[in-house]
Amino acid sequence: MGKVLEKKRLNEFLSKVSKGGDLIAPVKRDTLRFEIVKDFNDICLEGRPLFPVKKFFSPAKEDLFNLNLTNKNKPFDEEKIKLKPRVIFGGRLCDFNGLLKLDKLFLSEEYQDDYYKLARENTLLLGINCDPAPSEYCFCESMDLEKYYDLFFHDMGDKYYIEAGSEKGKTLIIDLEDYDFTIPSIKCEKKLYTKDISKYYDDSAWDKENDKCLSCGKCTAHCTTCLCFDMIDELEADVKHGKRFKEWDSCQFLNFTEVAGGAIFRKDRINRFKHRIYHKLQYFREKFDMDMCTGCGRCIESCPRLIDFTEVINNFKD
Amino acid sequence: MLFNATPFRIVKKEKQTEDTYLFRLEKPKKEKIKLCYEPGEFFLVSVPGIGEAPFSVCACSKDFIEFNIRGLGDVTNHLIKLKPGDYLWLRGPYGTSYPMKELKGNSLVIIGGGTGVAPLRGVLKYVEERRADYDRVHAFFGFRDPNEILFKKDMKLWNRIFDLNLTVDKAPKSYKGRVGLVTKVVEESGLNNKNKIAMVCGPPIMIKFTIQTLEKMGFHHDQIFVSFERRMKCGVGMCGHCMISGKYVCKDGPVFRYNKVKGIRE
Repeated sequence: MGKVLEKKRLNEFLSKVSKGGDLIAPVKRDTLRFEIVKDFNDICLEGRPLFPVKKFFSPAKEDLFNLNLTNKNKPFDEEKIKLKPRVIFGGRLCDFNGLLKLDKLFLSEEYQDDYYKLARENTLLLGINCDPAPSEYCFCESMDLEKYYDLFFHDMGDKYYIEAGSEKGKTLIIDLEDYDFTIPSIKCEKKLYTKDISKYYDDSAWDKENDKCLSCGKCTAHCTTCLCFDMIDELEADVKHGKRFKEWDSCQFLNFTEVAGGAIFRKDRINRFKHRIYHKLQYFREKFDMDMCTGCGRCIESCPRLIDFTEVINNFKD
Repeated sequence: MLFNATPFRIVKKEKQTEDTYLFRLEKPKKEKIKLCYEPGEFFLVSVPGIGEAPFSVCACSKDFIEFNIRGLGDVTNHLIKLKPGDYLWLRGPYGTSYPMKELKGNSLVIIGGGTGVAPLRGVLKYVEERRADYDRVHAFFGFRDPNEILFKKDMKLWNRIFDLNLTVDKAPKSYKGRVGLVTKVVEESGLNNKNKIAMVCGPPIMIKFTIQTLEKMGFHHDQIFVSFERRMKCGVGMCGHCMISGKYVCKDGPVFRYNKVKGIRE
């Protein structure tokens, strides 16, 4: 049993739950994207932002230290992380499932990333159901997504049916009217058939799609679960002050595996392409018993050549 | 924070080759940093304003730690210019180590190529202090040419207390030592696998052929340890750079039992 909210009361509801913090939602500008909402009327739930919510949990560039080379005893001054409480509204199930996977990397038992941890603890996840699937490239139906959210909205025409997925979520909708409904599961035209890809590393189906690849890294930039990063020191013109920062990187770039002296371990583009897909569907599963792909299809949709790894996998020869 | 570094003072710097130096760093007294007690682990060493680079522990006690640093990239070319009294910024230790306690009683077959000898020096230094815990120690080290030979001081001692086999790939005619690939020397040693553990570290091509040689000599894959070099940025299994076939060299390695990484793809 869930609750129901009339659409005309949505802004009022969002303003209440995000009070004292930021509301993040899809906003239509030149393109549809998640951003901190300034005017609630900008919120747009038509379609799905091509860029996932991961940037709010580990930004594309994150300062770690201020560098001061004149201070020999303390050249590193740790950057203080400031984060307001946030509410993400309008995220899709793929977005939030992406976080479940990233938790395995950034909140492991031994090591936790400070920014990511703080962001996870201070963000409420208010999702919206995909009915119908927002993109022809979506294939999440094949990926066994979990019902992971604080609240989940389903569009019922003039109202939203809302289901809570956490205790926190329950308290947010406690005053709303009860309603009996079952949210329909997401239906996708696109499917990923074979999931055990371990035996097909040398299958010729890889070649056709790989031949189109430009190694541009758009697939990893748009992926819900790709957060590989580089750590870079950069000095100002005075060569005394600067920053050490984290910056998103991509396993699709040639220099991703380059070591001092110039050796590159994944020199061939096809090895980098396969590495991305095997990481998503085999290596991650071996470690954490789940796929690292949420089936959002963003890697396909964002690709300038529309390279579609599901086509590769669906066409493996037995 | 995850990436905070601690300053270690350089107390000794010893020239090894034209571009390689052995640094001894003193453990800061107040810091509660855990220095490794088993070799194989690595630290990320920082130069503020330039960046970080990973280094295997080359020797270590509770008071000091040693790194072998070759000027090859931006960070290392700066590091080799530092002098005793200067500070290095360290975070770590990270990664797996050679399970030295578990290996007690075995004979060790230690095979290194070039700078890959550095982490293995950590093993030999460890064994030096606990000689009675291990049976025979056979060390095979290959360098490109006589000028590239590292740890010459140690080699004198090791030649006395271990079965040391030193070789260079090429040398001028006047060179009196052994010339030839290290794999060849290993093969000609006639060793069998009985009660033995092999440890291999060096360039990828050298690792590949050494394993083939060890296989021919009867070594099982779980009797071989390999240590990989990869680009390691974070050291904690997050940044993705060092991953091979789903294994983070920084966290699941850099020391792997070979049966765990056999057949992995780049």
